[in-house]
Amino acid sequence: MVDALLSGAPVDAPVSARQVRLRRGLELAASVLSNPTTILGLAIITVLIGMAVLAPVITEPNVPDPYQMPRDWGAVAKPPGTPGYPLGTTNEGGDVLYGMIWGARTSLQLSLTVVGIAALVGGIVGSVAGGVGGRVDEVLMRLVDVFLSIPELIFALAIAAVLGPSFGNIIFALSVVFWVKYARIMRAQIIHIRQNEYIDAARVIGDSRLNIYRRDVLPNAITPLMVQATLDMGHVVLIGATLSFIGLSQAGIAEWGVLVSEGQAGIAAGRWWASTFPGLMVFLWALAFNLVGDGMRDVLDPRTESGR
Amino acid sequence: MVLPVLIIGVSIVVFTLTRISGSPIGIYLSHEMTPAEVAEIEARFHLDEPVPVQYLYWARGVLQGDLGWSGVAAAPVTEVFPDKLAATMELAIASGLVAVALGIWLGTYAGARRNRLPDHVTRVVAVSGASMPLFWFAILLLIVFWVYLDWFPIGRSDPGVFASISHPTGLYVVDSILAGSPTALWDAVWHLILPALALGYGATAIIARMMRSSLVEELQQDYVDAARAKGLPERLVLRRHARRNALIPTVTVIGLTFGFLLQGTVVVEIIFRWPGLGRWMADSVLRGDQATIMAYVLFTSVLFLMVNLVVDVVYAYLDRRVVLGE
Amino acid sequence: MHAPATIASVVDLKVHFQSKRGVVHAVDGVNFDIRDGETLGLVGETGCGKSVTGRAFLRLILMPPGIIAGGSITFRPHAVCPACEGAGCPRCGQTGRTPAVCPACGGRGCAACGGTGTETVDLLALSGERIRRIRGDRIAMIFQDPGKALNPSLTIGEQVAEVFLQHRSADLMQAAGVEAGHFLLRRFASQRAGTPERLLLALPPLRGRRDRILRALDVMVAKALADTQIPNPRKLMDRYPHELSGGMRQRVMIAQALACNPDLLIADEPTTALDVTVQARILELIRELQRRRKTSVLYISHDLSLVRRISDRVAVMYAGRIVEIGSTGEIFRDPRHPYTRGLLAAVPSAAIGRGKLAAIRGTVPELVDPSPSCRFAGRCPHETGACRSYDPALAPVARGHSVACFIHHQPLAGERPSFARRSG
Repeated sequence: MVDALLSGAPVDAPVSARQVRLRRGLELAASVLSNPTTILGLAIITVLIGMAVLAPVITEPNVPDPYQMPRDWGAVAKPPGTPGYPLGTTNEGGDVLYGMIWGARTSLQLSLTVVGIAALVGGIVGSVAGGVGGRVDEVLMRLVDVFLSIPELIFALAIAAVLGPSFGNIIFALSVVFWVKYARIMRAQIIHIRQNEYIDAARVIGDSRLNIYRRDVLPNAITPLMVQATLDMGHVVLIGATLSFIGLSQAGIAEWGVLVSEGQAGIAAGRWWASTFPGLMVFLWALAFNLVGDGMRDVLDPRTESGR
Repeated sequence: MVLPVLIIGVSIVVFTLTRISGSPIGIYLSHEMTPAEVAEIEARFHLDEPVPVQYLYWARGVLQGDLGWSGVAAAPVTEVFPDKLAATMELAIASGLVAVALGIWLGTYAGARRNRLPDHVTRVVAVSGASMPLFWFAILLLIVFWVYLDWFPIGRSDPGVFASISHPTGLYVVDSILAGSPTALWDAVWHLILPALALGYGATAIIARMMRSSLVEELQQDYVDAARAKGLPERLVLRRHARRNALIPTVTVIGLTFGFLLQGTVVVEIIFRWPGLGRWMADSVLRGDQATIMAYVLFTSVLFLMVNLVVDVVYAYLDRRVVLGE
Repeated sequence: MHAPATIASVVDLKVHFQSKRGVVHAVDGVNFDIRDGETLGLVGETGCGKSVTGRAFLRLILMPPGIIAGGSITFRPHAVCPACEGAGCPRCGQTGRTPAVCPACGGRGCAACGGTGTETVDLLALSGERIRRIRGDRIAMIFQDPGKALNPSLTIGEQVAEVFLQHRSADLMQAAGVEAGHFLLRRFASQRAGTPERLLLALPPLRGRRDRILRALDVMVAKALADTQIPNPRKLMDRYPHELSGGMRQRVMIAQALACNPDLLIADEPTTALDVTVQARILELIRELQRRRKTSVLYISHDLSLVRRISDRVAVMYAGRIVEIGSTGEIFRDPRHPYTRGLLAAVPSAAIGRGKLAAIRGTVPELVDPSPSCRFAGRCPHETGACRSYDPALAPVARGHSVACFIHHQPLAGERPSFARRSG
């Protein structure tokens, strides 16, 4: 090619860095989509998010608060197939199907909020740790290590217990537990970039740190962060539902964990539907995001096929 | 090493939590007390001192075995702990053993038949295990095997049988063997099966997944071909050569699995009415029994850290290349 | 019979691989013989199919995606010399081996053995069990990177011992003075004992005899290691592969391969991963051992100068085919195929002046569904029109020297008949 240039022969039109990135992004997306399990996951996610977003449309929202389970004292503990209640009712006459659909909405809010906060806080902490280095880095990473030493569920449990049972407290507790992984990822990316020689070259020609951060660090960090975020969308709901199940959420709301917990009372009497269907939703949610997250990880980082 | 630093760090976090939710001596106070009496109690618990000093008093207390008073159990935490711990350990160990044995076998079976049916089945099991809400799976098992089939009981034991033998170790299965009582052993095992299954499923999935991918990687190595070239039958190539090396990275997942089991006991004990730490913790959460919650967090974290440390050491020992810094 | 006996004959070997892009014809009609006691060098660049050819002898090719699409590899295994029981005597030329007697005719000569009376098998058609018995015993293989070809979790002794346990368990039991009929001990000596059996063998009544077997095994392993001039074999046996240097590891591999006195040794680039100085010593070792035991060697390499030093005959392979084969002297003195000439010219040597590094222009063709043309077409300086449409086969150009090229021979039966003759 050098010969061609020197000899004045026509060369391919130069391509901008942006175009290269775009094309690479599309190639990766195509790769990810070539995996059938990933597609299955995406399909399930679409259905679930569709449910969540369209909840006020596909069901009759409860008054005054749609997030509260409706109570029909005339149709208490009815089995699936009862007219008007395809999946049955709970011990208080709540429509199980309603709970499933509005539960999706709750779960979407929960997971988006927690993952958003965690990624933001984690990203900032990680950037500071990696960018500043030295003592600050040491202290911050020790903090991260300490947080990682406490098993996730137990930590979230303790925080939520101390703050009092409420949905908002669960969001807070989960955010506190989940931000650490993002900090680690971000920091690793920054350190990796710093060690690259072309950064020195950029600095020599006077490029600012912020520019380097924006142009080189962030785009490269996006992929592992995205993989983690996708997987966490599933994990957050899993752990959140478990916390609700244990009793750290408000009673009577349309949330999957709460519904499973409330449905327990009827099990001994053979009333299985009030717990089974909401629990199934939690499973599907976590499964879908795990499938997609795994599919993404296979393409973006095929070496690590390990558990989590 | 890093371990003491982390333990101290965890204790600071726990201490912070105790101070978040209002006065920690709330259970000692009542409305009838005069301000002077309240002040005196506050001084006794060092609440008039600066926070870091309070931490030191608290930490000293912990090291001396004072973990506070459990409202739920109406006794000091340290008194109730051992019995509950034994119950939970029994459950965790049983599940762990099942998970390790089953997971390694499944992972090997799948890895050796890559991309054929057993492999696909294993991958489905593995991914569903990782996504499975434990509380839901446990409830399903409960519905099928207890409500409908009535094959297994819930709880840890039949009180009459349990009381009929002595309990030196606190582990029901072990105690019944030591006491030579088949009825007790049967009772112990039969009660253990369902919760261990529930708890073990997720753990099996984690281990199987890791084992499978390790094995697939090892089978691509040259020494496997070299072993075949020596005339070794395929089963020896698999077991003596590939699997032995594939087990090494799998050991690292054991630590992770342990964390999973530890957390899982909370939910499983609630559902199967198992009288262990997890259920005690769940009750404490609902009734605001702070001391128990904090003790539990401290205990599980320290345990988790130590298990991971052991795993690291074992891994370094096993991977001879790592030991000699190759 | 004056023609030298062949230990193995490859006839029209075809090995293909299923891939996403199609069927890759990695080895596409390979023909050559390996004579008894000779070293045949198989040379070619990366991707020409030489490794696959070597592995085909032992059927070490992963079956999906690999397919044996045709051909045969006939092999004449030897057995322990009856006169000296393997110790070496004039009758077996001090090798301890003589050609095995054909089981079908008892040595009289029949169709199965082609009238020779010696046992002849087609390696590609043998059952899994039979090929397993040949592996490590009659045909052995040494690999390119000894660091990767030895199991990192087993000691040297444990690994080398496996060859004896698999193929010499009867001798082992005899050397240990243990009765051959004992069920558990026999299983132990052939690596068939499971965990419960091994637990039983650890108990006192059997433990003594088990330990005698283990000690006899140690003696056999130490001797095998000593044969490759490894100093202090006893100490080495307890070491792990990563504790050894590259050269030492390759010696272990060689020791392991030659432990059962094989008839044929397949060496797949055994010195590529080693330092140059170590390379020379390993080559010497192989030559020495081969001279003494008269083992036939198939030496696979991409390094021409190396092959020249060690081989009696050389076969040049390109794109899945043998393009030229002849004695080492012939090939290097008078290379006929343009590819061989290109290879020789590309090797830098003191004789070539500065700045004149020749390269063969172009690249190896994709071997997916190849078209019927000479594979070297497009890179060949002497190409004619016919080379693009027809596929040359190996044909002799001098005594013991064959080339597959239209420059050197007329089309033979089997190539397309309507071929315009090339003048000159």
